[in-house]
Amino acid sequence: MYRYDQFDARLVAERVAQFRGQVARRLAGTLTEDEFKPLRLQNGVYLQLHAYMLRIAIPYGQLSPAQLRRLAEIARDYDRGFGHFTTRQNIQFNWVALKDIPDVLAKLAEVEMHAVQTSGNCIRNTTTDHFAGAAQDELLDPRAWCEIIRQWSTFHPEFAFLPRKFKIAVTAAEHDRAAIRVHDVGLHIRQKDGVTGFEVWVGGGQGRTPVIATLVNPFVPEAQILDYLEAIMRVYNRFGRRDNKYKARIKILVTELGEAEYIRQVEAEFAAQRDAEKINLPKAEVDRIHAYFAPPALAAKSESSKLFEAAKVADPAFARWTRTNLHPHKVAGYTSVTVSLKPLGVAPGDATDSQMEVVAGLSEKYGYGDIRVSHAQNLILPHIALDDVPDVYKALDAAGLGAANESRITDMIVCPGLDFCNLANARSIPVALEVQKVFADPAYEEDIGKLHINVSGCINACGHHHVGHIGILGVDKKGEEFYQILLGGRADEKAALGEIVGPGLKAEDVPGAIHRVVEFYRAQRTSPAEKFIDTLERLGHQPFQDALYAAG
Amino acid sequence: MTSVRPKLKPETPKAVTGWSTATGRSLWLAVDGSWTEDASRLGVFAGDEAEARLAASLKQEGIVTDPYFMEVTADGRITGRESLRETMRAQPVLAYGGAA
Ligand code: HEM
Ligand code: SF4
Repeated sequence: MYRYDQFDARLVAERVAQFRGQVARRLAGTLTEDEFKPLRLQNGVYLQLHAYMLRIAIPYGQLSPAQLRRLAEIARDYDRGFGHFTTRQNIQFNWVALKDIPDVLAKLAEVEMHAVQTSGNCIRNTTTDHFAGAAQDELLDPRAWCEIIRQWSTFHPEFAFLPRKFKIAVTAAEHDRAAIRVHDVGLHIRQKDGVTGFEVWVGGGQGRTPVIATLVNPFVPEAQILDYLEAIMRVYNRFGRRDNKYKARIKILVTELGEAEYIRQVEAEFAAQRDAEKINLPKAEVDRIHAYFAPPALAAKSESSKLFEAAKVADPAFARWTRTNLHPHKVAGYTSVTVSLKPLGVAPGDATDSQMEVVAGLSEKYGYGDIRVSHAQNLILPHIALDDVPDVYKALDAAGLGAANESRITDMIVCPGLDFCNLANARSIPVALEVQKVFADPAYEEDIGKLHINVSGCINACGHHHVGHIGILGVDKKGEEFYQILLGGRADEKAALGEIVGPGLKAEDVPGAIHRVVEFYRAQRTSPAEKFIDTLERLGHQPFQDALYAAG
Repeated sequence: MTSVRPKLKPETPKAVTGWSTATGRSLWLAVDGSWTEDASRLGVFAGDEAEARLAASLKQEGIVTDPYFMEVTADGRITGRESLRETMRAQPVLAYGGAA
């Protein structure tokens, strides 16, 4: 578990007290907005289109039932009865009043949560595979490394004022579910000759200038990784562009220097570190932190479950859900359950207070008290016995959380867009909901198979439109919303950027256009086993583009 | 602030808008000098009067945050380059399930 030690507790308590004073001065008018803005941003408070928004960190997307219950309480008492889970594995409350935020932060501190490092030009929350510690295909549990990075970077004096925000992601599975190649630094845990180490990718990112990360070092042994990261951060701190906000991310530095020169500089910085200043992370320390993440004591089970099999036969809807929303667990007789926050007609990633309480309860009763937030804006119960899956499904379905659509076309990543966001050019939620309607029939959706649609309301790309198999980007043309469609992006180990295929569409034309593209795929695929993205890569974008613009 | 603030000519009709410092809700300045959350009650100003109203608003830090001019028609309807965004600000917004 994330160790929130006494040191953290005191710091966070001091932060809350300090912010309470700042808010009081702001409300009295003695602090101007210009003075207050940097202070509120350091505490996760944004001013959006209609209200303040509070962003709360969920380190590596992991929550306890007590924490999720507390978030439910905050949603009920201070928001409008719901919260919004984001692709950064955080939660945002869209309606909290500034005057209440110090109280909310104090309540969060009671369950060891805070909003530190959710904004500002620092190293943000390190994200990872949402199945970490459970996934059959992982080498080891990557959360320990997220925690080591968190401890190293939190309040690190050298890195509190970077040229720009900095995001790190870690994976330990061959299939990358943490989108490491579109992060400032992506770490892929590897083993070589019995030594654990990291493949280091630098300079990926989305936003207005999307870039796929560069492989900077294929193997940095674990003892040296923090020193290597320090070298990366130092080169960035020194040469990253502070003169232009749009050129300040590390991806621009890597692109401007060129891959070879950038790598040379990092290696030179790393080589120049004096022994005395090296961290040289001791093995005992790594082991100590790994011990926090010891797997739960799962009761022994046999490989298959009669209860589970019988329930599938009895209920086709349950059977369909098991085909989409379960992920193989490393322990026999267990599975990881994805709780879809993408039922039809609901803003993707939103959960009500009572839904949060249902998930917290299921986690306590069946799930060893472990809950995750995925970057696809869903919740995960990572350790559920197959025997219990039918009961878990029944409870989820009764709470409106039984959608069988994990990684399917209606499981979209969608940013808040112009319904909430002050930077938006266009709405993204209503367009996503209209597209969902086309694919509302679960049998049709299952036949289409895995397909990621990602939607952003402006070029900042919070909705990951660059790496959706189909991306939708909202733009504003003279006061009217238009949507550009991108094809061919992906965020996994074969990361690629989508390509804008042509002129923007009006909102009402988007669902039909997507439908034509999907139908074209179904007609062209060699078999239902060939996924949308594979057919697209096999045939190239042109025929899909033709289908997209075919008169509807 | 982050959004684009179009330069408006002195004679262009405009409203003064910003956010409630306490709650963050969108506010518009009414003719009587009070702040309202109801955009249909916004006051339309122009010329020196508009400048004076904005200058006074900028001094009300504890009440209104980041006040600025927004373009409206003479009868107070939202118009101009930022009209999409301003229309969204003036509307009731999505609650859970997409309802307003
Ligand atoms: C509603 C308030 C929000 C604001 C004001 C905001 C602002 C921004 C801005 C300005 C950027 C571009 C940064 C850059 O390129 O340097 C950005 C990027 C991003 N935001 Fe947001 N955002 C908001 C909400 C969200 C939400 C709800 C999510 C998750 C669903 C999110 C996830 C991201 C991600 C993943 C990126 C891309 C990071 C990258 O450049 O690699 N943001 N955001
Ligand atoms: S992509 Fe643009 S519209 Fe969407 S949340 Fe980010 S900044 Fe706002």
